[in-house]
Amino acid sequence: MFHAKKPSSMNGSYENRAMCVQGDSGLVLTTDPKPRLRWTVELHERFVDAVAQLGGPDKATPKTIMRVMGVKGLTLYHLKSHLQKFRLGKQPHKEYGDHSTKESSRASAMDIQRNVASSSGMMSRNMNEMQMEVQRRLHEQLEVQRHLQLRIEAQGKYMQSILERACQTLAGENMAAASGGGFKGNLGSSSLSAAMGPHPLSFPPFQDLNIYGNTTDQVLDHHNFHNQNIENHYTANNAADTNIYLGKKRPNPSFGNDIRKELLMWSNQDHEPIDDEHRIQIQMATHVSTDLDSLSEIYDRKPGLSGDEGNDCGKLLERSSPRRSPLSPMMNPNAGLVQGRNSPFE
Amino acid sequence: MHCPFYFIISMTMNHPYDDFPNLLFSNNTATATSTSSCVEQHDGIISLDMDWDCDFHDLIESMMSDKGATTESSPVLPCYHGQEGISNSSSTGLSMADELDHDVEADESKGLRLVHLLVAAADASIGADKTRELTRVLLAKLKDMTSTNDRTNMERLAAHFTNGLSKLHKEANVQRQYGPHQHPDVHDRVDVMLAFQMLQNMSPYINFGYLTATQAILEAVQYERRIHIVDYDITDGVQWPSLMQALVSRNTGPSAQHLRITALSRATNGKKSVAAVQEAGRRLTAFAESIGQPFSYHHCRMESDTFNPSSLKLVRGEAVVINCVLHLPRFSHQPPNSIISFLSEAKTLNPKLVTLVHEEVGLVGNQGFLYRFMDLLHQFSAIFDSLEAGPARGFVERVIFGPWVSGWLTRIAITAEVESFASWPLWLATNGFKPVEVSFANRCQAKLLLSLFNDGYGVEELGQNGLVLGWKSRRLVSASFWASCESSE
Repeated sequence: MFHAKKPSSMNGSYENRAMCVQGDSGLVLTTDPKPRLRWTVELHERFVDAVAQLGGPDKATPKTIMRVMGVKGLTLYHLKSHLQKFRLGKQPHKEYGDHSTKESSRASAMDIQRNVASSSGMMSRNMNEMQMEVQRRLHEQLEVQRHLQLRIEAQGKYMQSILERACQTLAGENMAAASGGGFKGNLGSSSLSAAMGPHPLSFPPFQDLNIYGNTTDQVLDHHNFHNQNIENHYTANNAADTNIYLGKKRPNPSFGNDIRKELLMWSNQDHEPIDDEHRIQIQMATHVSTDLDSLSEIYDRKPGLSGDEGNDCGKLLERSSPRRSPLSPMMNPNAGLVQGRNSPFE
Repeated sequence: MHCPFYFIISMTMNHPYDDFPNLLFSNNTATATSTSSCVEQHDGIISLDMDWDCDFHDLIESMMSDKGATTESSPVLPCYHGQEGISNSSSTGLSMADELDHDVEADESKGLRLVHLLVAAADASIGADKTRELTRVLLAKLKDMTSTNDRTNMERLAAHFTNGLSKLHKEANVQRQYGPHQHPDVHDRVDVMLAFQMLQNMSPYINFGYLTATQAILEAVQYERRIHIVDYDITDGVQWPSLMQALVSRNTGPSAQHLRITALSRATNGKKSVAAVQEAGRRLTAFAESIGQPFSYHHCRMESDTFNPSSLKLVRGEAVVINCVLHLPRFSHQPPNSIISFLSEAKTLNPKLVTLVHEEVGLVGNQGFLYRFMDLLHQFSAIFDSLEAGPARGFVERVIFGPWVSGWLTRIAITAEVESFASWPLWLATNGFKPVEVSFANRCQAKLLLSLFNDGYGVEELGQNGLVLGWKSRRLVSASFWASCESSE
């Protein structure tokens, strides 16, 4: 008697009671010309209870629900559509495009029942509305991600500038104290780069770098040198390091301060207070960092130096350019919120 | 990697406060088999038989077996790396292998002992005169057992607390008073700045406060032409570049929003703070110019502890925002009066938004020094545990944590009697401020920020108008948002 494709006929048997708001069975029917079953709060709650008893919306079937609910006048058809809505309501991400014809007609039946009242907020909404809401939230999350990236970048730049300024002030005071060539040349930043873990971008050794204007040649030489070091480093640590980008442990986000690499040197020494010598070294590092942009450009243009493109090393080199947001290795705009994703690239 | 020390503290905290003295000083050792008294007998001094087999021990045993995190640098270094200083530091002792279990037990029991000693020392330090000698003895023992270069978190943190307590103890004769209380090992400004920046890479602690507050501000002033932020403690101005960047990216040209910042300096902090505030202004102005954000900066001196709103320059049509970020490591004690005064008076400016960021260390009145001490220990042990390990950690601990702990100890010792209100949010709620809801975007941002760091951090909602950053079960920092009751939406 009931045709799935003709939703309007499903309430055929109720036409006799079309005028009544509340039938004998306790079901509430609308007074529309086409009476539809009204899923009231109580009815829906009974439905939910029944579903729960039966082990959840996936296990319950309209037949069993009908039996458990024991509500007179409630038909399989009512329950079928309500159950489907309920199931979909629990999984807002579910795609609708895959539905077979049969289901799509059921879906259109649901559309007709779009105004059905119920206690569950989700149930009363159009599926499309819910979908839109979810999409809106996802979009907002992506926006937040993008904004955060930019903000952290801005903050990092600023912090670098205040640090440089403070060092310059200090340098002005200390220059007199430091005689020519006064700083030790042992800082070997190659060691720094490796020791810092997945930060392949490193400073050339201080004694070789013309602090106030580096030349491309020097930088390239060191680039090659450091590439090698980086490779060694990564070969040694490959497991751990790939995990750093792919797994749970992430490299520390850099709030714009690459200075800390320099600090590795003396902070690992015997914890003496920073003396003037060290301070000067740090200042030199500070100056170097301002040239980092030009360094990184060069690094960026040659991504394949450490091997083929598919090699982690090359990618890491590219990734870690300070010009980019420090978060870029970790943010995949297509992946929603960052949670140690598999594809670290934009 | 979790440090059992944190759990020791949290378990300790769960025991009723009153039991502590009994627990520590009782002589009724049912099972006095293991570690015996650890207080040496001095001439004529009470010898304490500490019972280490108290209730805690069983609790500890059933907890994590991880040993404390260490500060060693990356364990595998390429061999060309023969530079001195990298691999021979005392903190590179990765005893990860071998006698792990035995080490863990030893660590745990030592941690337990340290906690007990610290609490005993704290208790003794505020006691009457006759416990002064006891304090000295306990502190000496603690100094003996700990060092700021130790292997485990618990030892190093205990060392910082020991130093702090020692300072308090030394000054016991001196009349304690309000006023700038400088840590004796004041570090160089550059060191401090460096350490701060490194700390930001090791933990979301600082930036949670900054970014959450900034996001709320951006939302509140979205449609305003002119924005005026009154910043209670601008420090180096680090909070504002991200705000400027956001403003620039959402408005350009004629729709650009004009930003004004007035930064306060307090007379109690001396000339240095005035200079710092002015320097921050210069840096911020330069930054704003570099990104094309219309900006002006003002410096307002608070001569006494009272804030006078008329000393502010106000422009008609501007939206006023009050920014009160209080969670940064502070090395000198800051009396709460100036904050109270600031917030009360600022209300008369009808601010569109008041942001309040503060540490979750309970300065609940009438609780007594010992309780606050335990709470402080709990807070710092959580922070210690939460920091990312790394080569820079020792530096950060020395430059920031040492003075930070000392500052706090002074504060809770002084304000034991004075500070009678429970918390800032409560104060605001009962003094003419209404809550402002936290947005979905703000919550998202916080969670995103946390995802960049160690697992173990969490964000909780604080009522309708706040977010709290926590580590495991300990709340660390909370950010809440308010508006004056009369301000229009």
